[in-house]
Amino acid sequence: MRLFLSLLLAAAPLAAQGPQHARLEGRIPAPALPGVDSLIAQAVAESLPTEPLVQKALEGGAKGIPAARLVNGVRHGLVQLRDARAIVTRAAPDRVAYDGDIAAVAAALARGLDPRLVERLLAAAPAEPPGPALHAAADLVAHGFPADSAAGLLQTAQQQGLRGARLLDVAVAASHELQREGGQTTAEALARVRAMLPNVPVAPPPHPRVVTRRSGRGS
Amino acid sequence: MTDIDPRLQEALDGERDSATLPPELRDAFARLTVATRLLAQPPAISVADRVMAEVRRSKRASVAHRWAHWLAQPRAVTVRLRPVWTLALAAGLAAVVLLPGGGQPVAPGAQEGVAQFVGHFPGARSVEVVGSFNDWQRGALPLRDEDHDGIWHGAVVLPTGQHEYMFVVDGERWVADPLAGRYVDDGFGAGRQNALLIVRP
Repeated sequence: MRLFLSLLLAAAPLAAQGPQHARLEGRIPAPALPGVDSLIAQAVAESLPTEPLVQKALEGGAKGIPAARLVNGVRHGLVQLRDARAIVTRAAPDRVAYDGDIAAVAAALARGLDPRLVERLLAAAPAEPPGPALHAAADLVAHGFPADSAAGLLQTAQQQGLRGARLLDVAVAASHELQREGGQTTAEALARVRAMLPNVPVAPPPHPRVVTRRSGRGS
Repeated sequence: MTDIDPRLQEALDGERDSATLPPELRDAFARLTVATRLLAQPPAISVADRVMAEVRRSKRASVAHRWAHWLAQPRAVTVRLRPVWTLALAAGLAAVVLLPGGGQPVAPGAQEGVAQFVGHFPGARSVEVVGSFNDWQRGALPLRDEDHDGIWHGAVVLPTGQHEYMFVVDGERWVADPLAGRYVDDGFGAGRQNALLIVRP
């Protein structure tokens, strides 16, 4: 009995560390490991996805980020995941907040998208995976289009049946219109793309000579 | 042993002409001469001939049977190799097994797409891609510059969705892909950005 209790006590911390601990051990500075473990445990307790945090820690380790800054980077990631889940829950209260959706919203926030714009796009298509629409919006904003106008264009595209990666084509078409010779304003470029919908050109797939398969688990 | 007439013996030894023998000895001489000739000849079909004929007959079995027989028989094989050739052979086999097939297309699955990486790094000795798709593990995706024009390239099949990545030049310099078009703050507080890749199906 005494032996059983001893083994149980010895195994408890290992079980609490979870499988992520083994992926991080030796890949991040040892002083950062307890802090990162703790943040991952918080994410598990709050039913948030842990993979983005593991990736952030591995990234910090690979880049040689000092332990304190590495832990801060992971903590920043946890805060973004919390914000993202809150947005997903508000935008689609009847829908389960999937890990992939939360991670996609967190990435959109990291790209600098306004939380209200994110929520608006999610609410406009609650049944769709949010990633493509959010990246298309972030692309448009990065090219200088006003956020509200960008969201309006994407909502129009969704109403006309465009889904998933085709929304990225809308953003590409708008940026091409903006760069067209003669100098168009953002409003003119958006108007031209709106007139094209839903028949925006499809981005050509890459044709590399040699394609390999990735190694490692990664995202 | 029977005594032989000395005249007959001389004739058999060639010391006397057989014609000078008396008639009763001439007949005996003729029979002995025939017997001597017969004894001097080998038999028409010897035991050895019969054995060899049997062996030859068995060797006339089908080619397939002979091959099967040859393959089934245990044999001692001695291979003499120089160690340097052994190592070269092992390296060649490892290259065939481990390296991607030269130019053979890798078909992405339904939830995968092809990501292509191109970077202009003149004078670089090595360029690799490190990102969330390979656990930020160094050495997993090296780029190539076969014609040494400073343009490094590579492609990999990845799951659809977003992936953050960086180029690592000469093993130490981290560079956000200048052609990525999408970037995201890396969150470590130094204002550095990762390139963002969106893989389409």
